[in-house]
Amino acid sequence: MGGGGGGGAEGGDQALVAQTLAGDRAAFGTLIERYAGQARRVARAVLGDPDDADDAAQDGFLSALVKLGQYDGRRPFGPWLMRIVANAATDRRRRRNVRRAEPLDTALVGGGPRPDAMAVRSELNGRLRAALAELPERRRKAVVLFDVEGYSHAEIAGILGIPEGTVRSEVFHARRRLRTLLADFKEPMR
Amino acid sequence: MNESPSFDHRPDPELGAALRAALEPRDDSAAFAARVMAQYDAALERSSVAMFDVLASWFRPGMVAAAAALVLGFLFGRTVLGNRAESIDAALAPLEGPGLAALVTAQDPPDPSVVFTSLVEPQ
Repeated sequence: MGGGGGGGAEGGDQALVAQTLAGDRAAFGTLIERYAGQARRVARAVLGDPDDADDAAQDGFLSALVKLGQYDGRRPFGPWLMRIVANAATDRRRRRNVRRAEPLDTALVGGGPRPDAMAVRSELNGRLRAALAELPERRRKAVVLFDVEGYSHAEIAGILGIPEGTVRSEVFHARRRLRTLLADFKEPMR
Repeated sequence: MNESPSFDHRPDPELGAALRAALEPRDDSAAFAARVMAQYDAALERSSVAMFDVLASWFRPGMVAAAAALVLGFLFGRTVLGNRAESIDAALAPLEGPGLAALVTAQDPPDPSVVFTSLVEPQ
């Protein structure tokens, strides 16, 4: 499965990892640029707040650098990194010990006016983030890794440390919940 | 979005795109990478400074301990060993005698009693 996840850049990733281990600072920078987007999205799926998410993604990258010697080069780099980033996000959330769903705009809750396409898009994004925040953390990670980042069920199972069947179940339930929550938003758009 | 109730093994592109847009970071990945690298460099600097501080903190007590050990060793040498003979023969003298001969010439492993006797018997 391609996406931002497993495929595509693996050959390049292995070379960049080797160069990083050999002390090439720029190679590590390239790895960060390559995976920054998905690391930040996965972290945001866990934490909600974009600044917290960036801090967690940063923690994840630095932690990955420290652990880089433990990385098995025969395996894809993306899932290995995403596991570290997802754990960093979970750790940060636990440390703060307060789970604050991103506050919903009152206009979103009340179904306020939608003056233009930009506002509609913004409203949809807010509604989706709110819907995600209502899901259990593992379910959130699973659906984002599968539908957004394009990782396979097996890869997500490795990232989350759960059986593949549980990943399928989490993705299924997350999708059902998200679709239900979004249904009332989509209908007036048609 | 796909409304099918059964599980679909393929990613849902519409839901995926919507979620991606909702989770998209505010700035570009290059700026984020620059921030991470700055943190990395700062962490390296902190760790090297911290290591220097640790070594510096060890230095003074270490020097004091080494000087104290030198003085004590010198005093011990003067008071305890000063009255003893200084040649190796003299140092081995308590071992000489039948016990030492038996130990050196025996084909079999030494009898512990012989070794022990050679050490404790007064010459």
